[in-house]
Amino acid sequence: MHIPDGYLSPQTYVPFWGVSIGFWSVALKKMKKELSVKHVPYLAMAAAFSFLIMMFNVPIPGGTTGHAVGGGIIAVLLGPWTAVIAVSVSLIVQALVFGDGGITAIGANCFNMAVVIPFVSYWVFNLIRGNFTGGSRFNIAAFLSGWAGLSVASIFAGFEFGIQPLIASGADGRPLYAPYPLSVALPAMALEHMMLFSVVEGVVTLLLLKYFMKHEPELIHALKAKEA
Amino acid sequence: MKSKIPSFLLERPSSDSFTQGSVGLKIPFIEKGIHHVANVIKTGYIQWETAARDSFFHRIDARIKVLFLIFFIVIVSLKNDILPEALIGGFIFSLMTIARLNIVGLYKRVFFLAFFFGFLVALPSAFNVITKGDIIIPVLRLSRPYRFWIYQIPGEIGITREGFYGVVMLTSRVMNSLALSFLVLYTTPFPEIIRALKVLRVPDGFLMIITLSYKYMFIFAKTVEDMHLAKKSRLAGQVNNVDARGWIAGRIAFMFKKTRLRCEEIFKAMQSRGFSDNIKIYGVGQLHASDWIAGVIFFLIGVLFLWM
Repeated sequence: MHIPDGYLSPQTYVPFWGVSIGFWSVALKKMKKELSVKHVPYLAMAAAFSFLIMMFNVPIPGGTTGHAVGGGIIAVLLGPWTAVIAVSVSLIVQALVFGDGGITAIGANCFNMAVVIPFVSYWVFNLIRGNFTGGSRFNIAAFLSGWAGLSVASIFAGFEFGIQPLIASGADGRPLYAPYPLSVALPAMALEHMMLFSVVEGVVTLLLLKYFMKHEPELIHALKAKEA
Repeated sequence: MKSKIPSFLLERPSSDSFTQGSVGLKIPFIEKGIHHVANVIKTGYIQWETAARDSFFHRIDARIKVLFLIFFIVIVSLKNDILPEALIGGFIFSLMTIARLNIVGLYKRVFFLAFFFGFLVALPSAFNVITKGDIIIPVLRLSRPYRFWIYQIPGEIGITREGFYGVVMLTSRVMNSLALSFLVLYTTPFPEIIRALKVLRVPDGFLMIITLSYKYMFIFAKTVEDMHLAKKSRLAGQVNNVDARGWIAGRIAFMFKKTRLRCEEIFKAMQSRGFSDNIKIYGVGQLHASDWIAGVIFFLIGVLFLWM
């Protein structure tokens, strides 16, 4: 899901930088008119937590293991706007320090993983959960929120890859950036995520929400927001 | 120069417990977790140590290096021919040599990442199923072309000149971008890189969030590693997947609570040090003449690459 440098044309990565900067500005304004000293450690720790979720390899049915992106669970636990900043900071550090994702692609990566995942996950969780705080409907909502968030993000990523041959080709028709057309990039990204990675995301979201519901339900932002 | 990196970070752990699966060797989730975390800590430690060394490139102001990084990464993304990419690659290599970095170690990492994220991902596009053109390496001949919905499979499948060129181009672009970011990262302490982003008018509050979270990512990564090791030391046999998932959920939840608690402590520490509601990052000094000269040289070289 982390798009490296070189795959996206400037026609794509520049607008995505703009879109992500827009979301960051709104997120910071939502936190408070001007980012105050109180919000700095809160967001920094949320970003550290977002990074830490990826440290845990989860055994999934089929004998393999995988790690979650964590955008969905952070959105449900802390709210989607906090997740925008937290996951973005985590992605920026990953791109700069570990080479996971490109620097030109930070805008697109943040849009896919720090904007699309949190909002889709948060909405799906609230939509399916209704007023249930337990039982199978709650579990389905928890799993689907993680699953849908990453799946929709993968569709966006597939679309971003797939439009490259259309918008950036050489005079001889040779693609200059991501070489796969929409007919290949979109199903490839979407299907592999829907069948594997999104399942891991869904499992992690479900496990964590079940744990929090059992031990500390007051920490779940999505429940508090709905009650409010 | 003698390495100060602890030997345990440089050695491969001897306690791997691989189990024979039906398909091949399987690494249990605990080992995978430990390796993942250990790699993160090791990367951070090596960067801290390498960035603190002294060389011509290390002494350049972080602001110049950040602008150099952005300028050159954009140039790399704009170039569509192999020759300029190769020349840029050579230029980065010479800068790494001047900076007295561990060339072998760094390029191993660059090649590894470029192989996976550049070459392997792009390789299928070299075939005429994706990229049309003159076949230079025939691979398979079918009895006739096939058509499924919007997909077409030609009668002869092979690697095309255009496709191969695209794969090489994409791989070299990924490689150059990685080498550039590693060059700057391994010659500049991370907090200085973040502080240097002030030249791009990034708000001070946002920079402070990145700096703080970066520090705590490593602190908490150590905690995660300790948790994995503690679990491993208590395990006599194998743990089933359901129990493993339950344990992981509990540990992630524990980390969440730990970050929430630490957030309160950091806030109090910040208050006691006099942080007010207006966050300002200080300590950004004047650029020296040598920084300006380096900046102008990098700019001119960049323009030359752009013009090529």
